[in-house]
Amino acid sequence: MVQEIKDVDFTKTLEEASTPIVVDFWASWCGPCKMLAPVIDEISEELDDKVKFLKLNVDENPVTSTQYRVASIPTVMVFKGGKVVDTLVGFRPKEAIKGVIEKHI
Amino acid sequence: MDNKYDIAIIGTGPAGLSAAINSKIRNKSIILFGIRDLSNKLVKAPKINNYLGFYDFTGQQLKDQFQKHIDYMNIDIVTEKINAVYAMGSYFTLMVNEKMYEAKSVIIATGMEHTKSLKGEEEFLGRGVGYCATCDAPLYRGKTVTIIGYNKEAEEEANYVAELTNKLYYVPMYEGNYSIKENIEIVKDKPVEIRGEDRVKDIVMKNKDIATDGVFILKDSVAPNQLVPGIEMQNGHIKVDIDMKTNIQGCFAAGDCVGKPYQYIKAAGQGQIAALNAVAYLDSLK
Repeated sequence: MVQEIKDVDFTKTLEEASTPIVVDFWASWCGPCKMLAPVIDEISEELDDKVKFLKLNVDENPVTSTQYRVASIPTVMVFKGGKVVDTLVGFRPKEAIKGVIEKHI
Repeated sequence: MDNKYDIAIIGTGPAGLSAAINSKIRNKSIILFGIRDLSNKLVKAPKINNYLGFYDFTGQQLKDQFQKHIDYMNIDIVTEKINAVYAMGSYFTLMVNEKMYEAKSVIIATGMEHTKSLKGEEEFLGRGVGYCATCDAPLYRGKTVTIIGYNKEAEEEANYVAELTNKLYYVPMYEGNYSIKENIEIVKDKPVEIRGEDRVKDIVMKNKDIATDGVFILKDSVAPNQLVPGIEMQNGHIKVDIDMKTNIQGCFAAGDCVGKPYQYIKAAGQGQIAALNAVAYLDSLK
């Protein structure tokens, strides 16, 4: 399952996580983001328990998107131990994204 | 039965048309995207002697033969430009601005773009440089944007983007009358380099520099790895195996876009291979 995250909870959620975290940066007007959402949903079902999946709306949460310098969406970031360990900019096929995430499990 | 096409073919050159007729013969539902002239390169060819069965033909004559063939097979061309193809896992979504089509398999036959990319174009892609102005325009609300247009269609996009931006420069890369809105500034100059640090800052032209937040480069076709995010490339071409398979399951490619030699009959042959393997792939899904 992919949970919605906001600026206020972001740092705390990162610090408290015991698993890798995947964050999907998106916005409602972004076509490729809409395409990516069901792909991320599917991956989150398959990697349930092993990875936490979050999505962050860049229009509503400028603090986090600025802090992590998101300049183009969709951007998918993988966090481990509170740090960014991988960044994917733009749409990618399911297997490509899953492969990148699995490296960090 | 769902409303997904069996095979979506992108491109109406010899590769795409050959893929279309072979898919149709195998009774698959197809959608073919391209242009009314079929291929700009074909109609410009003065004399063709290396297409088996047709000799001493002009490109225009060969094009007319191709047209008759697809008419006879009842194959229509959808003259919409595909901006992106998304591999969703078990199917593909093809985007035309706000509209979309779905297909179980895709054949890429988009030919080769001969114009070289600008210095800085790839470096700043996604950080100020884009290939679809209408898609990303909302990101540039109230900002300064430059559109480098290689064809008439780019003018329509410029007119739309001008409604959102604070300032829009239009750099035409072709001669002609430009039907664009009054608040757009036409820059008749040659772009040399896109510069910036984190993000795009300006464009260096032959005669002057323009400060800009975004640059959209609008050509007839975008590079395959922009068209199909995640597709594997090799030396500027789509990487395929002997069955015309790409690294993405269900996605095939044929013609100039997969490599040299750039020849008509080679493209047609590869289009056929791609179509037959797409058919085999569809059958394996059942």
